[in-house]
Amino acid sequence: MTRISLFRFFVFAALVLILPARTVVCEETKTPSFSLAWSEYPSWSTFGVADEVKLIDGEKGKMGPIEKKWNVDIVLKEADYDSCLVMYGASQCDAVCITNMDVLNPCLSRPSMAILPTSTSHGADACLVTEDITDVKQLKMMKVYGLAKTVSEYCFVRNLEILGEKEKDYRFTNMDPSAAALAMQQKKDGFDAIVVWNPYVLETLTKRKDVKVLFDSTSIPGEIIDMVAMSKASLDMPGGQAFACAIIDTFYALVRRMDDPKTADDTLVALGEKFSNLSLASMKEVVKQTQFYKQPDQGITVLTSQNTQDTMKKVVSFCVAHDIVSQPPTLSYGNAEPQKPVMLSFNPMFIEKVKNTP
Amino acid sequence: MIRRAIDKKKSLMIGVLSILVLMGFYSLVSHWQHQKNPDDSTIPTWTQLGQGVQKIIEVNPRSDERWIVVDSKATMSRLFLGLFFGVAGAVVIGLLMGCFTPFEAFLAPPMSLLAKVPPTAALAVFFVLAGTDTRMYVAMISFGVLPTLAQSIYLAVKEVPDETLYKAYTLGASQTELIWNIILRHIMPKMLDAVRLQIGPAMVYLIAAEMVVGDVGFGYRIRLQSRLLNMNVVYPYLAVLAAFGFFMDVLLRRTQHIFFRWYTHGKR
Repeated sequence: MTRISLFRFFVFAALVLILPARTVVCEETKTPSFSLAWSEYPSWSTFGVADEVKLIDGEKGKMGPIEKKWNVDIVLKEADYDSCLVMYGASQCDAVCITNMDVLNPCLSRPSMAILPTSTSHGADACLVTEDITDVKQLKMMKVYGLAKTVSEYCFVRNLEILGEKEKDYRFTNMDPSAAALAMQQKKDGFDAIVVWNPYVLETLTKRKDVKVLFDSTSIPGEIIDMVAMSKASLDMPGGQAFACAIIDTFYALVRRMDDPKTADDTLVALGEKFSNLSLASMKEVVKQTQFYKQPDQGITVLTSQNTQDTMKKVVSFCVAHDIVSQPPTLSYGNAEPQKPVMLSFNPMFIEKVKNTP
Repeated sequence: MIRRAIDKKKSLMIGVLSILVLMGFYSLVSHWQHQKNPDDSTIPTWTQLGQGVQKIIEVNPRSDERWIVVDSKATMSRLFLGLFFGVAGAVVIGLLMGCFTPFEAFLAPPMSLLAKVPPTAALAVFFVLAGTDTRMYVAMISFGVLPTLAQSIYLAVKEVPDETLYKAYTLGASQTELIWNIILRHIMPKMLDAVRLQIGPAMVYLIAAEMVVGDVGFGYRIRLQSRLLNMNVVYPYLAVLAAFGFFMDVLLRRTQHIFFRWYTHGKR
């Protein structure tokens, strides 16, 4: 390589390195940008649908009316649920759609705040069995399939507790819910009991008339909470709090579309589009079993109530006992500033701010 | 100078250096991440990785089993069983296609079509057809590697020089003797090359399936521990997989070198 071509090479390399850095600097001077990782689920797809109906623009650098109102750029990152958890744990996004159980792990390394409860499972997680199984005790002799260390196993174990049974007498066997539901729908040998969530619950019940619900999450009301959690470090950044408000505002704006008779059906179909191939009638059933916290007051209650505190004690002890978390995270509830640093706080301050902002 | 040879010692040192550079780069990235967040578990430090390795090899108090033992047993038995059926099927089909033109006409089109279907994309089809137990993993690996492997063997058979075949016929060889003593021996080293190249894809198919339906195995553990953000367990598992792939590669190459010197002679 001659001296001149070497010189050209270094100039080119320098440009390659400098140009992106300049781009970052330029972007930093604009509206602050934060990202939300979400996966397909009735109350979390609200953000995807809000993007479709132009309430927000999930692309970086583009803003919808809600983003303009709060002067913050929302970047939506859609991925499957497990990837969202990893993305959040690895600080690749600022906020994530997550359950109250799964948030306990990332908050150990990334202090977080539950800013918005979106829904609760009220029948959306269920133990499906063939019609010859009439008593939970019959499950002792067989494998029960479901995704281990998730709300499925939690729902199963809690229901066993309620029915006075011991967990160690049962065999909960790991399997992806889509595969478990498919195996049961095909009447594969050994698949007489599965614990899955929607849409697999409704799909399986529709396709096999001889399958019924043995128990479901209606017996543990308010214990499985779907929500949006945000990193405290991101909240402390300029625009972080506006982002939290914009996310909350977006959710309630879409919920209003669900309640408006003119847009209700369209919104419901849009919510279910990628979630499943269920009909509109089935989607109406889905949102009954996944009860949305439609009003800000409901959200505030969830983040502050004694009931949630009791629930979280149960969830934490389940997670510790099942090696889901290595240690119980410190939690706090309500608006009050905690005395010592906590790993996960349930704080309604941003819902209140959105509620009080016209 | 291009392609100038270097001595073995230097080559080994450069190889070791590349690994050290990788480890150094990892240490740096982990250090940066822990400066940003001291509690980070996604890019673990060497100490955290040590804890992860300990977790993998010690007896788990809940299950009374060592993760690495039960997972290795499950994954390796599925992999070898799948590869066994895949290779056996490919040898038969490849030989038939290469030796007999009616079989070639009948099997070549479906084989070239099937070779283009990625088994991971057809995961649900395997669940439907073969269930979710060992049979499914074996079917997935076998059907995943078989078409490509059969095509490689078929092409290798086609490359056997006509003169060799005529000479064998002239010396009175029967058709079976010709296939067994001439063709099969001629294609064996190429077949080992093809099998070597199929180990990687077979592992991809297996891990993908285990991630979805496994309750034991490398894919199951990696998915579960990734979800729980226990990357200090995930990375050692990936290292074990890499080491296994590397070991199999070396083993097959050594086998080729020992038993087929006429083929490897002159090759590095």
